[in-house]
Amino acid sequence: MKHRYRISPQGQGPEPTDNELARYRDSGKLLHNYQRARSLMHRKPLYKDPKAFMALLLIVLLAWFISEVVDKRDAPQDPSPPTIVEP
Amino acid sequence: MNGEEELQAVRASKTDPEAFTPLYNAYHGTIFRFIQRRSRDQELSADLTQQTFLKALMALPRYEPRGLPFRAWLYRIALNELRMHWRRRKEVLIDLSYTQIAGISDELGLVYDEDDMRRLATAMGKLDEERAHLINLRYMDGMSFAEIGQVIGVAEDAAKMRVHRTLHTLRTYLVPRA
Repeated sequence: MKHRYRISPQGQGPEPTDNELARYRDSGKLLHNYQRARSLMHRKPLYKDPKAFMALLLIVLLAWFISEVVDKRDAPQDPSPPTIVEP
Repeated sequence: MNGEEELQAVRASKTDPEAFTPLYNAYHGTIFRFIQRRSRDQELSADLTQQTFLKALMALPRYEPRGLPFRAWLYRIALNELRMHWRRRKEVLIDLSYTQIAGISDELGLVYDEDDMRRLATAMGKLDEERAHLINLRYMDGMSFAEIGQVIGVAEDAAKMRVHRTLHTLRTYLVPRA
């Protein structure tokens, strides 16, 4: 990634004043975001919860069972044995 | 906020996030302006500043002062946030005023006319990302070599040497005056 520069007498204009910056300063929001990030970080993964693990296992088994049933139903029937015609 | 107060606030914040508020209030403006000089967008600067402080608060339990000012650590996080923001972009446009490039113009013996400023902008644009950061930290942010070293994670002498090498490179990039 390259930096391109544009030099002019005024640059990008005056920097924001302290009053302007005060509008963006919100320590309450920072602490709220921190608590939320912490709770997400320490959330137990779904597969480590025994109940959720059983539910996931059940869903996987059910999906496998349905796919097996559908495969068997859609499989082509065995063709009838060829008949031998006497000359 | 003096060094001792800062150290106390850092220590307290490691166990109590509420104690981070004085540090946030003290450095919010500094970090906002640092990001704004590079992003040219006030709303984006506000978001990246908030993200910088959130990352700092999350990483605070692992922070070791080692005699360096807390501000340098914040600058480093802010620079990483900017890099993350820029990662999908091929080019970043930075607007500089004559005041901001006064130091570098003097070092290179340039005059403040349109031709020399265009030559300087073109030459600076040829620098790779790391060298560009060095020049920005030194001349745009007005940091001392010690501070630059703290931000990029090298000793003061190494930072000084890198800036001087970058200036030398910049001289070779300057096209002759028309």
